[in-house]
Amino acid sequence: MKYRITHLTRYAYSTATPVCHNLVYLTPRQTPRQRCRDFVLEMSPDPAHLTSRRDYFGNQSSYFSIHQSHAGLKVTARSLVTLAPVELPVAEKSPSWEAIRDELPSVRTPEWLDAYQFAFDSPCVKSSVELAQYAAESFWPQRPVLQAVADLNRRIHQDFRYDTEATSVTTPVHDVFQHRHGVCQDFAHVAIGCLRSLGLAARYVSGYLRTLPPPGQPRLVGADASHAWFAVYAGSSGWVDFDPTNQLLVDTDHITLAWGRDYSDVAPVRGVFVGAGAHDVTVSVDVLPEEE
Amino acid sequence: MAVLTSTDVRQKNLLEDYAPQVGVYDELLDAQGQPRSGWQTFCRQLGELAPGEFARRWDQAQSLLHENGIAYGAYGDSENPLRPWVVDPLPLLIAAEAWERVAKGLAQRARLMDRLLADLYGPQTLINRRVLPADLMFRHPGFLRAYHGQRPAGNRFLTCYAADLARGSDGQWRVLADRTEAPSGLGFALENRIVVSRMLPDVFHRCQVERLAPHFIALHQALAESAPQHRENPRIVLLSQGPGTSNYFEDAYLARYLGYTLVEAGDLAVRNGQVMLKTLGGLLSVDVVFRRPNSEHCDPLELASDASSGIVGLLQAARERTVTIANTLGAGLVESPGFMAYLPACCQELLREDLLLLSVPTWWCGDPASKSHVLDHLDELTIRRAYRTRGQDLPFHRQLQSWSKDELAAAIRRSPHAFVAQQRIDRSAAPVWSDGGLKPQRIALRSYAVATPEGFEVMQGGLVRVSQSSRPLDLSILSGEGSKDAWIVSQQPVSPISLLQTQPQTVELRRSGAELPSRVADNLYWLGRHIERSEAAARLLRTTILRLTSETEFEQLPELPMLLRALAEQGQIEPGYVVQGISVPLPDLRRSLPTSVLDQHQVGSLRFTVGQLFRAATLVRDRISTDSWRIISRIDQHFRPWPRYAGVDLTDLLTMLDQMIIDLAAFSGMVMESMTRGNIWRFLDLGRRLERALQVICLARSALEHARELTGPVLETLLEVADSLMTYRGRYLASLQLGPVIDLLLTDDTNPRSLAYQLVVLAEHVERLPRDHSQPLLALDQRLAIGLLHDIRMIDVPMLADLHARGQSAPLVELLTALEERLPKLSDAINHQYLIHAGPAQQMTEIRMETPT
Repeated sequence: MKYRITHLTRYAYSTATPVCHNLVYLTPRQTPRQRCRDFVLEMSPDPAHLTSRRDYFGNQSSYFSIHQSHAGLKVTARSLVTLAPVELPVAEKSPSWEAIRDELPSVRTPEWLDAYQFAFDSPCVKSSVELAQYAAESFWPQRPVLQAVADLNRRIHQDFRYDTEATSVTTPVHDVFQHRHGVCQDFAHVAIGCLRSLGLAARYVSGYLRTLPPPGQPRLVGADASHAWFAVYAGSSGWVDFDPTNQLLVDTDHITLAWGRDYSDVAPVRGVFVGAGAHDVTVSVDVLPEEE
Repeated sequence: MAVLTSTDVRQKNLLEDYAPQVGVYDELLDAQGQPRSGWQTFCRQLGELAPGEFARRWDQAQSLLHENGIAYGAYGDSENPLRPWVVDPLPLLIAAEAWERVAKGLAQRARLMDRLLADLYGPQTLINRRVLPADLMFRHPGFLRAYHGQRPAGNRFLTCYAADLARGSDGQWRVLADRTEAPSGLGFALENRIVVSRMLPDVFHRCQVERLAPHFIALHQALAESAPQHRENPRIVLLSQGPGTSNYFEDAYLARYLGYTLVEAGDLAVRNGQVMLKTLGGLLSVDVVFRRPNSEHCDPLELASDASSGIVGLLQAARERTVTIANTLGAGLVESPGFMAYLPACCQELLREDLLLLSVPTWWCGDPASKSHVLDHLDELTIRRAYRTRGQDLPFHRQLQSWSKDELAAAIRRSPHAFVAQQRIDRSAAPVWSDGGLKPQRIALRSYAVATPEGFEVMQGGLVRVSQSSRPLDLSILSGEGSKDAWIVSQQPVSPISLLQTQPQTVELRRSGAELPSRVADNLYWLGRHIERSEAAARLLRTTILRLTSETEFEQLPELPMLLRALAEQGQIEPGYVVQGISVPLPDLRRSLPTSVLDQHQVGSLRFTVGQLFRAATLVRDRISTDSWRIISRIDQHFRPWPRYAGVDLTDLLTMLDQMIIDLAAFSGMVMESMTRGNIWRFLDLGRRLERALQVICLARSALEHARELTGPVLETLLEVADSLMTYRGRYLASLQLGPVIDLLLTDDTNPRSLAYQLVVLAEHVERLPRDHSQPLLALDQRLAIGLLHDIRMIDVPMLADLHARGQSAPLVELLTALEERLPKLSDAINHQYLIHAGPAQQMTEIRMETPT
């Protein structure tokens, strides 16, 4: 698949601000299945300083600052992304989850070592006995890891209610888990917390989800959205993505922006501005399929 | 280390009765009871002191400490008063040859820590090669991924390093803790040296003690050389967390000693990728930040701090190497005790050398074999947290102390990786001055190293901590107990060194010092205002008390109502005294005045104002001379209700006020005679002039509002409070009339107490403030200052006096009221133009992932 993606973020301040600094993760990541071309990042007003770098996890981040008085900020990220279909490993043939758990601390190939860092607590996700107990229903002894994770993914989708009002960007995973509601970011965090509580390595994936219009209706521009899901490390089967929000196969509808230990590593847009006023933010994402 | 009074003069030789603790390594005496190497000269010299001399000198030294206000803890906070810094008069002596071995080990250890950081924030070969357990790193709460990938100038991650050392019963020094984030205590080491060497100058010189100054010269060179692109004369700032934090005294002390601008996060801003200092004259680029706060508080955009602290974009500026931050952001990572278990192996891997200076044997319980060892030997070990965040030890320490052995074992089993165990070390003891004699107490030594092009250079000395027990030092070196100076005693004579002699090249002449951050100008301005407010209040109170304590009946004191009105306006007394007939509440006032004047919680009371004065002075301590500081400190010390709270009567209060007025005059004299006429002086004086103008108006109005009361005694009192009585008598002899009084107090610009004088000086100051001279129009502050001066010059004194004499007080009072309303506007205009640079920083709302299902 090939997509032309436009991600627009607008901030409106109640009083003009002289300075703002931003850090954004808006460049789609290159992966074996995904290629990003023609990436453009535009700011209005023009930034005085703009620079990009590859972060600790290999994501592309951009930093910019604006030093002229402005009442609003518009950040537009455009890219052309091609995606190859996923070749899913056969879940039944994946290693047992205990085997992965036991090998993580000891195998020292670069790939395993890289995976191992995702087995620990991170700023937004702390493992706990409760999460381990919840996960245990899916992780019976010697169950192939991908089967178990698929089952956990299904259960989160089934047990948790999608509710945009119930949580905020700062709601702890514990609260999401207690009340069984939240948004995609929360569900990804719950799944990651469950897996880490069992000693497995799980990472947070930030990206976009292409949405299909209801049958017979035209596609609406800008109606797509930022999305988040998780991936688990399955040893010889590599990293495998799961979407607990939709219980969809993560395939050519999911475009990957960046990954990290949790949301805080790869928040799409964050910033600090100078001023006392209030501010509003609006986001629109457009994922337009292109003829290949 | 109780303060000893000089009455105790019976002791003969200080060292004669010193009895070391049995079974403990004693720093002074060997097993045979003989002084160890390094101590002989010292012992001889001390033996020669006349009886009682030591105690007498120590008394003097204590008062120096007291006057310098050496203290630490929350600054200027009346609820949490400062704890005085406790120093012992007896230094710890170490022979230079013995110290050299330790210093070599410290230098190597500092180098190791630097390379450890370079590896962990770079290729992480130690983890890949399993020298360090991967999870020791991955679990580290201080390992913020944003720190990774920095490549500081010269690939130097550490500029300053410190280690806490203890000597065990085998006589070997071992490292208890490494400090890499922003080692503290340098300023205290320096202060201890000053106090102790001044107390025992002869002993100090005979002992040939190595100097501390070379260490600070090396520190300055290291910072200067680390500037981006090796810029010449780089601008170095010392970044402090500011007043109210425990290290502020030391930050201010070091900034003044090293000659750096002391800044807080709010004084810096990143513009176009460059760190800038906000000064009166605008933004100036900064080359080197000598960082004192923890890394995580330094950049709210990328690190774990809230938007109100730190400098947005600092980490990115460090990455782009437009600025050098010392120590590098994230340098505190390796001071966690968890690393100590692996340092010998890391040293082999990174330096291909054996670790020379060993740590106290340490086990990280995250390693299964170590864990079982620890659980089997819990009784012999000290348990500590594996991961440390600087400044947050105390609660964890208390928690660990409170646990029983079983609870501890359970906690280790539950989360083994959170703990390390360390062998208990029976720390050595040294003689400490106590109750007129010497007693052995346990010590630990904090020593310092600084990066130089030739490797790390170790300070020839250090900060000794003294404690009653031999318990391990889990806490900061600055917590609680006493301290000592450390003397490295040389065989050869030591040459004196001063920081100012280090520049071989000719220095360009300059007429201004370091840049003045807007915040500092603001604080100086308020210092000026509080000084003047204190003086006005003290003078008014003194005059009032003289009346209250005179033998004259109240009814025969026509000036009293005016005095009470002015006092009430200042907030010194309840307005009730003014409204009611005076005769009834006055005896009452005699009793209550001392209490209300000394009530630090009553806004407007003199004690309250003095508190604000002291607080303002602490905020600019690095900007005022030591002598000036002593005066302020003395005012604050003397003008306190305790310990004689209950007993203070009007006579006592009068003595206190006299003293304060003299001290304030001494401070003014110091400012007048010793301060260069730069912006520091200008803002201090702006504050004073503005406040004095307001005070003169307030005083004049309280008298003139009531035309019928304007009799001779009232006019005389007015002149007395305004310190103009002598001038008046000199000019007009005994003839008291309203016209000349108004002229002297309001319009005579040759009288430094008059309103006109203040306005003339204010207009001059405003004219000289930094501004863009290409602007065609006058700025608001200029217009206000000129307008005020114009109005006072246009006053027709004889006419107003004449009207007043005929009972029409309104025109004069209205004029004063108009002036009084415009002075604060001038203050606001100056504030807006120079002292406020930007509003608070705010975090932007983060975008949440919200995909509809």
